[in-house]
Amino acid sequence: MAVLLELKGVGKAFGATRVLEHIDLAVEDGEFITILGPSGSGKTTILRMIGGFTQPDQGQILLDGRDIAHDPINRRPFNTVFQDYALFPHMTVAGNVGYGLKVRGTANAVIKQRVGEVLDLVQLGSLAARYPAQLSGGQRQRVALARAIICQPRLILLDEPLAALDVELRKQMQEFLKDIHREIKTTFLFVTHDQEEAIAMADRICVMNYGKILQLGSPTEVYYRPHSEFVARFFGDNNLIEGVAGDRGSVATPIGTLPCAADGTEPAAGAKAFAVIRPEAIRIGNEPGANTVVAGQVSSVNFGGAATVAVVDVAGVPLRVKLPSRAEGLPLKVGDRVQLAWRTEDCRLVAA
Amino acid sequence: MKRSPLATLLLSLVTLLVFILLYGPIFIPIVTSFFTVKYGSVDWSQMNLDAYAKLTGNEGVIEAVENTFIVGLSAVAASLVLGTVIALHCNSGKSRSRALLQFVVFLPFLMPPIITGLSLLIFFREVSIDRSMLTIIIGHTVFVLALVYRTILVRLQGIGFSMIEASYDLGASAPQTFFYVLLPNLKSALIGAGVLAFALSFDETMITILVTGTQNTLPLRLWAMMRLGFTPDINALVAIILALTTVMVLIAARYLIPKDFAGADA
Amino acid sequence: MTAKPIEADRIWRGIALLAAYGLPIFFILLPLCGFLVYSLFWVEGTELHYELTLVNYRRFFTDEIYVPVLRQTVVLCLEVAGLCIAFGYPVAYFLSGLKGRKKYTLLMLLLVPLLMSYIIKMYAIRSILGGNGFLNRSLIALGIIDQPLTFFVFNLNAVLLTLSVLLLPFAILPIFLSLERIPKNLLEASADLGGSNAQSFFRVILPLSLPGVISAATFVFVLAIGDFLTPQMVGGQSGFTFGRIIYSQFGTAFNWPFGSALSVILAAVVIVAILVGARFGGEKAGVHR
Repeated sequence: MAVLLELKGVGKAFGATRVLEHIDLAVEDGEFITILGPSGSGKTTILRMIGGFTQPDQGQILLDGRDIAHDPINRRPFNTVFQDYALFPHMTVAGNVGYGLKVRGTANAVIKQRVGEVLDLVQLGSLAARYPAQLSGGQRQRVALARAIICQPRLILLDEPLAALDVELRKQMQEFLKDIHREIKTTFLFVTHDQEEAIAMADRICVMNYGKILQLGSPTEVYYRPHSEFVARFFGDNNLIEGVAGDRGSVATPIGTLPCAADGTEPAAGAKAFAVIRPEAIRIGNEPGANTVVAGQVSSVNFGGAATVAVVDVAGVPLRVKLPSRAEGLPLKVGDRVQLAWRTEDCRLVAA
Repeated sequence: MKRSPLATLLLSLVTLLVFILLYGPIFIPIVTSFFTVKYGSVDWSQMNLDAYAKLTGNEGVIEAVENTFIVGLSAVAASLVLGTVIALHCNSGKSRSRALLQFVVFLPFLMPPIITGLSLLIFFREVSIDRSMLTIIIGHTVFVLALVYRTILVRLQGIGFSMIEASYDLGASAPQTFFYVLLPNLKSALIGAGVLAFALSFDETMITILVTGTQNTLPLRLWAMMRLGFTPDINALVAIILALTTVMVLIAARYLIPKDFAGADA
Repeated sequence: MTAKPIEADRIWRGIALLAAYGLPIFFILLPLCGFLVYSLFWVEGTELHYELTLVNYRRFFTDEIYVPVLRQTVVLCLEVAGLCIAFGYPVAYFLSGLKGRKKYTLLMLLLVPLLMSYIIKMYAIRSILGGNGFLNRSLIALGIIDQPLTFFVFNLNAVLLTLSVLLLPFAILPIFLSLERIPKNLLEASADLGGSNAQSFFRVILPLSLPGVISAATFVFVLAIGDFLTPQMVGGQSGFTFGRIIYSQFGTAFNWPFGSALSVILAAVVIVAILVGARFGGEKAGVHR
């Protein structure tokens, strides 16, 4: 894929606080890229810089090879879906959606037609004459999206647009946004703090913290192959077993020396490290294909709906094991002695 | 959002002009008060305090100042007591009679002062109350009551009910609750409202001119003198009044504006 | 709270309630009602007849002086409101663009003159505008004119200018507050969608601040129309306003019932202005209809 937009060495400080440190990021044409990080990680600052709402202190933002870092907001071919939508309260839905065309001096008949098309696309055709105050949260969300796509921008920036919605609606909107993305084939840059949302929607996820990019890759990559302790902890309930890195990706831990899959990002031998194993990758009993087997005692079994999580104490280290639930209950009870097994490729090594 | 430099320049020019318009009429008499005025023109050659010396001998003005303070302080005291009682009552529940009471209290604030003044003038005549200092005080109290009431009510709403209920729960009577719990929390609102009410009363002219008998407050005195033209010592008086008003404004702001508001950053 | 109030409490409460209702009713409501009734009495010579009649109102509508003066006064006060907004809006907009402490300090400085002696400001403005005033003398000294200008001396223009200067702060505050209420991200959204500064101002800021403009206009209008001293001081013979006519009924003309009737009409105009202001101004309006 061709690169649409490139951030090169972008840095920003507010007073004495450095919010972004030397960010390099290439956004590919047509992709759905998600910037994921906790609040204060600098993810929103990146979005605001691309949109033109703040200027970087250092670095360049290249579009078609030209630095646009200091171009005014209204000259950039990008449109934003704001966190709280920022709909104009004094305009109707049609007025809001048509605003971008209106300020470009488009003829009214054309505006009317385009607004109709875009509203149909977001399934709001019947609400064109309503005011934002008369809409539900999900409907406002769609108006904000329609308003951002009508000018056919090169890039659509979405600043935690689903944060204000309740869980059910958020799930629906995630699918809806994906559909729209497939439909219009515009590049989406989506900012969120919710890792499930990021995994569900993105082609690529850019994980950030402390103003730095920690890892950039597909959802499966960042989920299964974390490169740092932060990423390993950020995605769900990984088991992190502390130890010392050995040769060829192994790690010496209190439960034995564990072999890990290596991809060249591991800490050097002798450094403190964590073995990272996803709870759903651990099997009970010695399974064929498993390379690592440890023994322990079940200390708790917690039913959690679709999955049941058993905590197994292995030489003083509690390991979480996630198993599919069964109606009759799992054949596991507290105090049972069990063997745990996993494959080497399911165990990763990250620096402590 | 950045504004264009041209727009900012134009806006600041208008703002500057407005400052000149607002403060020019205030500063001219102050500056003049330090110079000698003869035959309507100012002798700029020498600064002196002659005007201030002359003022101390102007008995009419001094008496008017005394009256103004008597009226102002009485109206402040009356409106604070009445405003507190009404606010306590209106804050204690919702009812038609409370809504009506609040409406009545706001009437003199909504209606032009000439209507408040005339209605009181007719009323005093019909119930045979002679126009005197008392009628001026009543007029001023009625005028500032809405502001005082509103300030106290807003503070009461901020305090909420739980503190009052806690006091009753611990066995306090209504007066005890008022003096031990409410009053300490209302103090700054009362001071702020009182100072603002005094400032309004200090300058009140239109109601006063209708309900006064033979007494002059300062604005009435100034009004009467202005029609003939001011003597130079009036410039000195103006300077003193304005200094006093500034101090009152600062005090009121200190008590009424929350600190986080004054220091708020965008 | 469920415990029965003891006897002393009940007496205390009774007195307080009596004062809370009694005094405002006695000194505000009763005078206003009395004044309404008074407007229905009539006067013969110096004798007041306590009989109900509409003769005062009939006189207002049939006499050829009063309706035109009222109309002229309403127009004057609308002009005052217009002038105050023309100057107040840019100032409020300028203030809203400042940051933090500077913004509120400047706002305070703009409001402080409200509390400064009204008579003195009026006098100072008169001495600036007068035939031999500061303005004319400066213009002559600068050689711009050689005769004192008279179009703002002791006439309605003088009243217009003086009232505008006196009431200007009342226009700045509500406009400033309405500008402050506009969420910053609406401006970002406007620019993001390609709007220039001017487009953002005329399509987003201006419409959203209109409720504040209307509140400001209402404030200024109501205060201006009730003022009978400023026109008297700077208006001279030609600067006759409705307020002055009312005042004269209680002074020289000594016809209190007719004065009351004129005041009732003034009150009606004020109420209409306040209702219009409440309908289109305030917080809710403009958001949706």
